[in-house]
This record gives sequence, structure tokens and C-alpha cells, in this order.
Amino acid sequence: MDAKLKETILNPIFKGNPITVLVLGICSSLAVTVTMKGALVMALSVIVVTGISSLILSLLRNTIPGRVRIIVQLVVVAMMVILVDQILKSFEATYAIDKQLSVYIGLIITNCIVMGRIEAFALGNKPWPSFLDGLANGAGYGMILLVVAFFRELLGSGTLFGIDILNRFGYVPNNLVILPPFALILLGCIVWVQRSIQKDLQEK
Amino acid sequence: MNTNNNVYTVIYTTIIVVVVAALLAFVSQSLKAKQDANEKAETISQMLTAAQYGTKAEMDKLSNTAKLEKYAQEIDEAYTINLKGEKVSDLPLDKVYSPGELKRQNYNIKGGANKTGEPELPVFLFKNGTVVVPIYGAGLWGPIWGYIAFEQGTPVIKGAYFDHESETAGLGAKIKDDPAFQNEFVGEKVDFSNANVFEIVKGGAPKDAEGKSLIDNKIDAITGATMTSQGLDAAIDTWLGAYANHFGVAILLGSTDMQKNPCKCASCPCEDCPCDCHCTPGQDGCHCPGCECPECSGNMKHKED
Repeated sequence: MDAKLKETILNPIFKGNPITVLVLGICSSLAVTVTMKGALVMALSVIVVTGISSLILSLLRNTIPGRVRIIVQLVVVAMMVILVDQILKSFEATYAIDKQLSVYIGLIITNCIVMGRIEAFALGNKPWPSFLDGLANGAGYGMILLVVAFFRELLGSGTLFGIDILNRFGYVPNNLVILPPFALILLGCIVWVQRSIQKDLQEK
Repeated sequence: MNTNNNVYTVIYTTIIVVVVAALLAFVSQSLKAKQDANEKAETISQMLTAAQYGTKAEMDKLSNTAKLEKYAQEIDEAYTINLKGEKVSDLPLDKVYSPGELKRQNYNIKGGANKTGEPELPVFLFKNGTVVVPIYGAGLWGPIWGYIAFEQGTPVIKGAYFDHESETAGLGAKIKDDPAFQNEFVGEKVDFSNANVFEIVKGGAPKDAEGKSLIDNKIDAITGATMTSQGLDAAIDTWLGAYANHFGVAILLGSTDMQKNPCKCASCPCEDCPCDCHCTPGQDGCHCPGCECPECSGNMKHKED
């Protein structure tokens, strides 16, 4: 694998993470991180949507009329999101989680990461790198989601993936952790950690 | 090729939109059966949970087929009633009401612009002696619904399960996720004679030393979820109120409470009515559930008088 492709994949995971560095996708990361299960399904859904929409739009990139390119992007992304939602609803295993995530699956359409990567990368690159870029950005988003959900479920419900961890020791779940503001506080902490490791992100 | 010319742009967007729409319509149609089956199995597991066949967690472990089998085994009778409490028709035993259907009935109970017909409210009798009825209403963010199970022939709640579309996780969502909240309903007694059949009290219902609610039809609201609790309270009042005529008669028969409150309403046809009469304001005549005196005769006919 050449260096440029490797950079395409690794950059969104840490150095150019869509949530902590680009600060995109904040809204849904506050909303779906109450449980690990929800965060995992959301992460996978976003990975699928970013990956495949980037691929499709990269294939179409030379034919899309410049003036309506955002509309074309929206149509493709919306189609992917609806497909993901319909498929989640159809399987016994994922039906309950889809119910729990409710509107947030639909709101992947408005997730700036998807449109951002298509606009910035997929429309100017070949399909294969675009596909990988989409997947990697989805993964970078999903990773932060899982980290936030880990703390929120552990402290807010005393469980992980629904399995009791802390409650058996008499832990009283903290209601603040369940509320969206705490997700923002956690995200702040993650950004803080990343910036102290990665000095070039710090403003002079 | 000039991709910026108008004709190209219009044709291009048309083709994209038509292709995407066709694809989505196809996928939606081909998955619909599966989705409906999932929804039905979920509804059944909620009803079985309310009817005390197990906790929701136990129900969730069953596969869809196992849920349907269990339901087919345990359901005894299902029928619909109208607002007067009269039976309208029998329901097929595998018929359940999806949240969408409950919504329609909710409009029919409440009346107004969305009313599509006279309410036909389902009643489900189970072999373990419970009778399950649905409720439906508005929470804080979206619809809430659920099932309440009574011991047959009594106003005593045996179990309850609630679901919601988008209540706040950890707060309003507790109506679904917190078995402790649902357990509060168990053993409570619904007061069908009152417009406010059941109350979910902010600040807590009075309790004895052991934490049992002292008042029969009152339980604690959920901390931090006042609006959801109020919505649930209203949904229960609306729906159980709609069932009051049906259950009121059956349940008040044999109740000793009615002896204590002689009828005081002027429109009651009999002179010394010993019954606990419930005269709905704005309605002529008197409806005395369970009354044995010939003028009232305890049946619903006199409500029409």
C-alpha cells in the first residue's frame, strides 16, 4: 500500500479525527452515546454511509453538474441513510437498537462528516481512495463515540453493553452523566488529551 | 461534455432522483413484511410482559417465533368494545394492535379533526386470569404507549409495560427501561368511577413505613421526567376512562364500596337508590354500574335514557 493511501486511512483515526480535530458530528455524538450498544450500531451505520456514499459520488464525480452537486450529494446520502435504517428495522437482532436510536439514524443525513468528506475528498479523488477515506472517517467518528459511550454507560447506568458492572457494588448511577452536557464535557476532555499529545494542534 | 448546461442539469437530477426513489420504494416494499413481523413480535412481548408471563428482559431473549407461539398458547379471548362498553366484534386471536393502530384509536377516543370513526378498543383476555388493555398518548418528545393488565373482574392492576418513541434516555425513557417504575403499578387499584382514574404524582404519593403506596390509585412520578409522567398519566386517564363503562360494570359488581355511597344525583330514576351512581356531567340520566334495583338495573341501557 502506498504512503498516500495509508495516510488517507490513518489520518482520520487520530491526527485529523472528524470529531476531536474537525469538530464535526458533535450533535449525534452527544445523543447516541448513552449506551455502548447504541453507539456501536450508530458507528457502524455511519461507517457504512460515509464509505458507500463516498464511493458512489466518486464514481459519479465527473458527470455531476457543478451547480447542483450538493443536491446530488444529499440525494445519495439520504438514500444510503434510509437503506441503513430500513435494514436495521428488518432484522430481529437490530430491531430493538434501531428503536432505541430512533431519529438519530435518520439524522446521519445531516452529519457534517458525511457531506464534508464527499465535498472535500470524494469529488476530487478516484473511487478506491474515496471509499477508504469514507470508511476511515466513519471509523474515526465511531471510535470517539465508543470512548464517550464507555464512560457514559459505565457511570450513568453502571453497566457496559447492558451487563451490570458497577451496580453490584452498590454504585448509584449518576443522572448527570446520562444528560447531553456530560457528553460535551467528556468530549472536551478527549480533545484536551489529544492536544497535549499532538502539540501541532495547539494554537500559538 | 459540458456538465453545466441547463438541459443536462435537469435531465441528470431527474434521472438520479427517479433511480433513487425507485430503489428505495423497492427496498421498502420488500422489507415491509419483515419489519411488520418485528413490530408485531415486539408488541406481543410487551403484552406478555404486562400480563406477567415474565420480565421484558426474559421476553427479549425469545425469538420472534417463540414469542408468537407463546402468545398463541396463552391468549384466551380477544374482542373490541365501543365507548359504551358494549362488545363490537371478536378479534382473531393472532391480531394485535400496532402503535399505529393505537394512534388511530386514540384520535377516535378524543374526537376532533383526526377522528376516523367510532372507537373500537381491543380487550385481550389471557389464560392466567389477566385482562390486558392498551394505552396511548403523548410524552414529552413523541408518542408513548403501553399495556396494562388487570386481574379479571377486579380493578386491581397485575402488571404494566410502557414503550415510547423518543423520550429522554435515562429520564423519561424510564417508563420503558425501569422495571421498578412499572412494578409500582402492580397491586394498585384503578378508580373507574372517577374521571381521573389513575394518578402519577409529582413529589410522590403518600406511603406507609414499608414504602407501599397508601392511596390505591396513586403512584410516584419519575424524577426528572415530569412531562413524560404527566403524559403517561393523561394517556392512562384517557384510555382507561374509555374502558370504564366496560370494566366498571363487571368490576363494580360484587364490590362492597358501592353500598357506602348512596346515589345522590337528582336524575336517578329510582327513589332510594343504594348504589354508587356515576353520572357523567352533560349526560342525561344516570348510569349505576352494578346496581340491583329495577329502575337502574345496573345495566348500561339506562345511560342512554
